[in-house]
Amino acid sequence: MDISRKWLSDYVNLDCDDAYLCDKLTMAGIEVEKIEKNSTIPEGVVTARILSREPHPGSDHLSVCKVTDGSEELQIVCGAPNCDAGCIVPLAKTGTVFHTAEGDFKIKKSKLRGVESNGMMCSEEELGISDNNDGLMIFPADTELGVPLTRLFPGDTRIELEITPNRPDCLSMWGVARDVSCLLSTPAQLPEISIPVCDTEIPGLVTVENSELCPRYIGRVIKNVKVGPSPDWLKERLESVGLRAINNVVDVTNFVMLELGQPLHAFDRATLAGNRVVARNAVKGEKITLLDGKVIELTESNFVIADAEKPMALAGIMGAENSGVTENTTEILLESAVFKSSFIRGESRTLGISTDASYRYERGVDFDMAELASVRACQLILATAGGEIASCAMEVAADRPAEPVINCRFENIRKLIGTTVTNERIVDILKKLHLKVDNITADSCVVTAPLFRLDLTREADLAEEVARIDGLDKIPTIPVAGKVCHPDSEDAYAPLKMVRDLVIGMGFDECVHYSIVGSASALADSRFEKSDLIELSNPLSPDNGWMRPGLLGEMLGTVGRNIARGNRDLRLFELDKAFCKNPAKFPEERNELLILMTGKRHPELFSAEGEALCDFYDIKGVVETLLEKLAITNYRFVIPAEADGRFRTGHALILQLEGKVAGMFGELNPKHASSWRSSAPVFFAQIEAAALTGAATRVKKSCKALAQFPGTTRDIAFIAPETLTHGEVIDFIRKCKAPNFESVRLFDIFIGDELKKQQKKSMAYSLSFRNQERTLTDNEVNAAMEKIRARLAAELKVELR
Amino acid sequence: MNDIIEAVNRAAADAEMKAAAAADAGALEALRIEYLGRNGLFPELSKKMGSVPPEERKATGSAFNTGRTRIQNALDEAMARLGGAGAKADKDAIDLTLPGRKAAPGHRHPITQLADECVSVFRRMGFVAVDGPEIEDIYHNFDALNTPDDHPSRDPKDTFYFPDGRILRSQTSPVQIRVMETHEPPVRIVAPGRVFRRDTPDATHGMNFHQIEGLYIDKGVSMADLKSVLQNFAWEMFGKDVNIRLRPHFFPFTEPSVEYDFSCVVCGGKGCNVCKNSGYIEIAGAGMVDPNVLKNVGYDPEVWSGYAFGLGLERLAMLRYRIPDLRFLYDNDIRFLEQF
Repeated sequence: MDISRKWLSDYVNLDCDDAYLCDKLTMAGIEVEKIEKNSTIPEGVVTARILSREPHPGSDHLSVCKVTDGSEELQIVCGAPNCDAGCIVPLAKTGTVFHTAEGDFKIKKSKLRGVESNGMMCSEEELGISDNNDGLMIFPADTELGVPLTRLFPGDTRIELEITPNRPDCLSMWGVARDVSCLLSTPAQLPEISIPVCDTEIPGLVTVENSELCPRYIGRVIKNVKVGPSPDWLKERLESVGLRAINNVVDVTNFVMLELGQPLHAFDRATLAGNRVVARNAVKGEKITLLDGKVIELTESNFVIADAEKPMALAGIMGAENSGVTENTTEILLESAVFKSSFIRGESRTLGISTDASYRYERGVDFDMAELASVRACQLILATAGGEIASCAMEVAADRPAEPVINCRFENIRKLIGTTVTNERIVDILKKLHLKVDNITADSCVVTAPLFRLDLTREADLAEEVARIDGLDKIPTIPVAGKVCHPDSEDAYAPLKMVRDLVIGMGFDECVHYSIVGSASALADSRFEKSDLIELSNPLSPDNGWMRPGLLGEMLGTVGRNIARGNRDLRLFELDKAFCKNPAKFPEERNELLILMTGKRHPELFSAEGEALCDFYDIKGVVETLLEKLAITNYRFVIPAEADGRFRTGHALILQLEGKVAGMFGELNPKHASSWRSSAPVFFAQIEAAALTGAATRVKKSCKALAQFPGTTRDIAFIAPETLTHGEVIDFIRKCKAPNFESVRLFDIFIGDELKKQQKKSMAYSLSFRNQERTLTDNEVNAAMEKIRARLAAELKVELR
Repeated sequence: MNDIIEAVNRAAADAEMKAAAAADAGALEALRIEYLGRNGLFPELSKKMGSVPPEERKATGSAFNTGRTRIQNALDEAMARLGGAGAKADKDAIDLTLPGRKAAPGHRHPITQLADECVSVFRRMGFVAVDGPEIEDIYHNFDALNTPDDHPSRDPKDTFYFPDGRILRSQTSPVQIRVMETHEPPVRIVAPGRVFRRDTPDATHGMNFHQIEGLYIDKGVSMADLKSVLQNFAWEMFGKDVNIRLRPHFFPFTEPSVEYDFSCVVCGGKGCNVCKNSGYIEIAGAGMVDPNVLKNVGYDPEVWSGYAFGLGLERLAMLRYRIPDLRFLYDNDIRFLEQF
């Protein structure tokens, strides 16, 4: 809401500058959004006396004047006809900047036709005070010298306020004045509001059929008005807050709404069928053409102010086109009503119409203000449009709402705010806010909130009032007491951070994607079908309406985008929520970890090392490292029984944790990469985060004592069929259970051209033997090796070398 | 000054001259042998040390060392001039300027970076970080938080709805309710996480963003506790010079409610573009938990009180790193990610 400083000062004495006022308002919870000074006079213009006037040697119309502002004497060349010695005039000193339509204009020391000039004397037009440009502005002879003109003509300041929804009482000048009076400790005063007494009743003038939606309606009739332009003071007030003046009657209703916060409507009584109004629900099929020309077809759920036949206004929102006051209007029915706030809010939203009136109604107007506002508007209409009051207040009202009564315990206020504010100060603040304070004891008081402060119902609400008026800067900072309320095992963040830290440590850049995705992105993860996706009812766009079921789709988008921009060597990951509708597959929300790599393994290196591309063993190594660092031992890599559309067939493994599938890793199905300008294969791992962190945190660590006796190693090399896997070899060697066998390690695999032709490969392993109680003899180890060699040759059909 | 000192000084000066004139590495090696070699001049002179009177020994020894250093320096300089790292060509010479084999760690996303920092700061103040569902029901997101039935934030224009009437949480505050429903007071938690608003992505909006929520309920908790925790947070995140300011505000789930500002982390409060010359930067909202919220979870507001606060991680990230456009955070271009 916009307020004008000048207008505000009609009700409260503002003995402070704009900055102070605005700071006070902001710090009291009435936040100043914008300050707009509309003085046209620039800083630097002061009053000055012309001491002498001589003709300019090089011009017939210019004069050379000596001028003083009381502190220095300046020579100024002037073209005005009236720059006579002795006059007191406005002087723009050097450095003054005029803001004009053509741009900024700075007064500088200069020479005019060879004569030095040190400033400019101004006309009223040049200062924007009036249109008068006949000559210099002349002040009375007793005017003090050196006074800034901004002080003589302070102009106005328009202040835009953000009024929070709990403070509808501040949606008026008077409401803001009330708070300002409390903040500046100066009284606020309404002008004298009264009208000539009129006892005439007009029975049937006002009918209210639904008092729940319209708890109060006051109609007054004024006759013999003369509709015409508003007086300047009224126009100026409206324009100062950005409203357009229309005619005296409409302007008065707007003025009073802004002054007191009560929306008003003036009907041309002659246009009312039956010369009366009915506040009623609309009849289905009725139509109304609003002031803005919009036609609305109404239903029973709409609420209207009608005449005897047809709707004349959408109650609390906008009048009908044919109901308004025109130049021909002579008799007015002035409405001042209260409508149910939640109803108006719903109507305004459903119809998509918001007006100054609906804005105030939907936040709640003061039940008690309707009568005062009606009188105030009549007073101003009589003053600006003439006429006479033709009826008393024709009122239909439900019961006045009860005022909230709150028991205010001083100690509770202090305990909640955390300051030492005294009982007296608490009472003082509450009273200054126009609340009724009774039964003041040493411990408490009873507070009755007026109907314009329906937000105050509890002690905590009063605490807020005391805190904001006393000043939140009074709240001390105290040492932070970090009380432990929960065991660390409830920390949901730390396990995920641990995983993130490990993956980042392995060289991966973390990504964050939106979790609302298009269907193509969602279904790129071929584990899911459309029926597994959780769909939004109101997406921003029709194809952006699904919760991502996994992280793969968006990650592939990121890979494609990076490759298109020339970033081909990527190590990326994301750990975040994925969503699934099908409980047979996944819980509704779960955390997924997706790690992806493509391009060069070590792009920062050079030569062969720098050129080498990532392969399957890189992603496998990442998964293995992760498992190792999380101390997970109960895992298995399983060759998938059937193809998974996400992966290249035969180039992926399933990760099982504690016997359950927890993820999968391998080479991306090349179909996903077909459009990318990169031929490097892409590898990724997808792991359920809960399974990972669950398996990690349950592990108990222990350590083994170091062996006291030395171990022995023996190498073994053989030619094996190409199909024999490393896994089979080590499983076999372990199963041999050779005496004192400790471990086995692969040290070479070689497939030369010759071997390739025979569909064979050379494999070489190093086996360790150790006994915990003694040093092994060569014979013992040789015998064990012999056993293994014999079984390898016989059972795995390898040719020993 | 004795003879030996004189001889040392003369030898050093000679050697310097000859080194400067040497044409190749061989000549330098010859010089080294002549002066410093096993049978060179210096070992010869040192044999005469025994004849120096005791009172002159210290000065002689010192001159001796200086002379030797001068010669060695002259030889080194000459060698550098001749372009060799050593007198003999090193068969194992390597190019020391080639790039090192880095253990190249990855990069934390700025949002996570800020979340980690916040969690760590609050953790030190006794808060434990908890999680809550992103697909949330109306009760936890609005009703239990004392939000009026016709509050604009419930509007499908602003909040994402699902066909079953649930929503994507519009704030992390429902986690407060979930924690209080399952825990007896006292509770002291923070809840970082993703929240959703129906905004078309642009430089300052996104379909979702991240918040961190804080909640402390205990006996006798006051606004001074709230202010102190937030002040401490400001110091930890942005440095000891940053001060906090509370301004009254309104939220349905707190009473009294405040917005809190940090003194401008860029200009220190003098006024600049970032703080729009106000000296303060609006950070987020906070307040004392509304008695109705406490009642909704079965806590007695006559016994328990507490505060809640929230803040936006994107906002912090933009402030911390001067990120000009929110979309950078969701684009995941590695040239952006690798700056963090």
